[in-house]
Amino acid sequence: MNLKSLLLRRSIEILVVFGIIMTGLFLLFHAAPGDPISMMVDLTMTPEDVERMVAQLGLDQPIWIQYLYYIKNFFTGNFGTSFHYGRPVIEIISERLPNTILLFTTATILAAMAGVWLGKIIAWYKGKAIDTWTTIFALVCNTLFLPWISLLFIWFFAYWVGWFPLSGMMTPEIWVNPEAGFFAKAVDVLHHMLLPLLTLFIVNTGSYLLIMRSSMLETIKEDYILTARAKGLSEKQVRNRHAAPNALLPVVTSVGLSLAFSVNGGALTETVFSWPGIGRELIFAVSNSDYPLAMASFLFIALVVLVANLIVDILYAYLDPRISY
Amino acid sequence: MTITSNRHAAYSMENVIDKKTRRSYKRQRFSAGWSLFYKNMVGKIGLYLLILFGAMALASYIPPLVDPMYHPMTGVDPLISYASPPSWRHWLGTDNIGRDIFSQLLTGARVAFLVGVSAAFISIVLGTLIGMIAGYGGRIADSLLMRFADMIMVMPSLLVILLLSVLFGQLSIWIIVILIALFRWPAVARVIRSQTLTLKKRPFVDMARVAGASHIRIIFRHILPNVLPMALLYMTFRVTSAIIVEAALAFLGFGDPNTVSWGMMLQWVWKTGHMFQAPYWLLPPGICISLITLSFYMMGRAMEEVLDPRLRKIQKADYAAS
Repeated sequence: MNLKSLLLRRSIEILVVFGIIMTGLFLLFHAAPGDPISMMVDLTMTPEDVERMVAQLGLDQPIWIQYLYYIKNFFTGNFGTSFHYGRPVIEIISERLPNTILLFTTATILAAMAGVWLGKIIAWYKGKAIDTWTTIFALVCNTLFLPWISLLFIWFFAYWVGWFPLSGMMTPEIWVNPEAGFFAKAVDVLHHMLLPLLTLFIVNTGSYLLIMRSSMLETIKEDYILTARAKGLSEKQVRNRHAAPNALLPVVTSVGLSLAFSVNGGALTETVFSWPGIGRELIFAVSNSDYPLAMASFLFIALVVLVANLIVDILYAYLDPRISY
Repeated sequence: MTITSNRHAAYSMENVIDKKTRRSYKRQRFSAGWSLFYKNMVGKIGLYLLILFGAMALASYIPPLVDPMYHPMTGVDPLISYASPPSWRHWLGTDNIGRDIFSQLLTGARVAFLVGVSAAFISIVLGTLIGMIAGYGGRIADSLLMRFADMIMVMPSLLVILLLSVLFGQLSIWIIVILIALFRWPAVARVIRSQTLTLKKRPFVDMARVAGASHIRIIFRHILPNVLPMALLYMTFRVTSAIIVEAALAFLGFGDPNTVSWGMMLQWVWKTGHMFQAPYWLLPPGICISLITLSFYMMGRAMEEVLDPRLRKIQKADYAAS
């Protein structure tokens, strides 16, 4: 099977899974004891007003009609109005989603590159002191409690030393200034991004390093490594060209598996650093019982995870030509 | 010959090796495994840390007995009603309403153990059962269960639990434990399934079947003992993730308000705006969460080396080479 048919099959699978998640979410919101109308009614409304609003929202219809409306609304991008912001939910989501993708993708790619590189080298020193200590250091990084290390970094780098801004994503003065060019704005965002990026980087690098190291140790025992050495290749060549590419495969798999877990971490990091991303928006919406916003944010986060999984699968198929799906 | 007599034959075959030799064999295997575990530095550090936290959890009952003001939740120092730095009276200082941070920290250890171990246990039981059924059962059961597991695996558990807490109101600590367990079994089920798939093909399972053992008997009597070590190993990893999820929930303000967990303490520092003024309050709970997850993780990795002969061989070969 070629890449195209793999892509097609995985896309259909993702659509099915997403459909199940959507349905589950719909049923959950229906099973919840709270009444969404009570959140929207204020004292000035007459009972007729309330009735009209119920009819307008379609809440007097049978459940399966409501479900069909829900599906239709998703595909037309109509998620209702946020209780808190009083703006269409889709607007808020489309503002926040790029910020999350920017932070999350940068952190994941940088951490994967650094972790794989370090793990590759460390595996070659198996049993030596440097290996033991690096492994322990990576274990520590990997198990650091994310919100706490974020708070600590804010306290140290932003408050104590004062190198970075305390929170947020941009300085208002720069963004309202019409003379500020694209470059100034980009530098400003980068300045705000460095600290959350560093936090995610440290925690993720630890786990990539550990996976890459154990994967390398498995690969080293293979016969083709022996062959490569017997051919008289240098140790560096054996490591970089014969061992590392093969050791990369399990790393890619585990990246896909741990994706959901790192989304949790991303949402926590966004919240602590007040990074205006979709994870923070979800947590915020949940704290304020903003049902439409919470529901839409959750659906989009699920979509991001599923698409990222798809990308990981494609990467795997690209890296390992032996794999046929 | 009737089926019952076949079953009797199966029972007697299992008892060919007498109990005494079996016990001594088990003891030998245990001590060999233990010495391997203890030689491993990572495992040793993990074990010491774990003993430390166990002692903390046990010691958490002492402070409230000394003076009611040391009660972690309700005890307030009558003289102090602000965040105060460490002193002889309060070894780690007090929080913003005069509660003792040290006794809160000790109680946090108890909550972490409770949440971690019970959530991990539930998820291991679920994962092992589902994994064995998927591996042993036919193709349909296998693909259905594993697809379901895959689906749960892509869900960000913390965010789903958050969503549930907004829909169903404040969650108690036991509901949180159960929810964490419900999201954490798929990885276990995958591993147990693949082990069951290879075990199923082994001669002793065929022999049991020929001897007339039922499916349930084969699963629980012949397959379960063989996958149990792996399940226990995964339990240590589940403990770490359960503790992290509970701490994160509490940190965001969705924990059980009747418990004092480390995540809750961090939330208090953060929400009351003391994180810049009171490092003595910010540091301890975070260090404890990070270290307890580290210790379980380290134990797990060391146990992995004991249980997985392949990992052991590399080490021996490596030592021989160097």
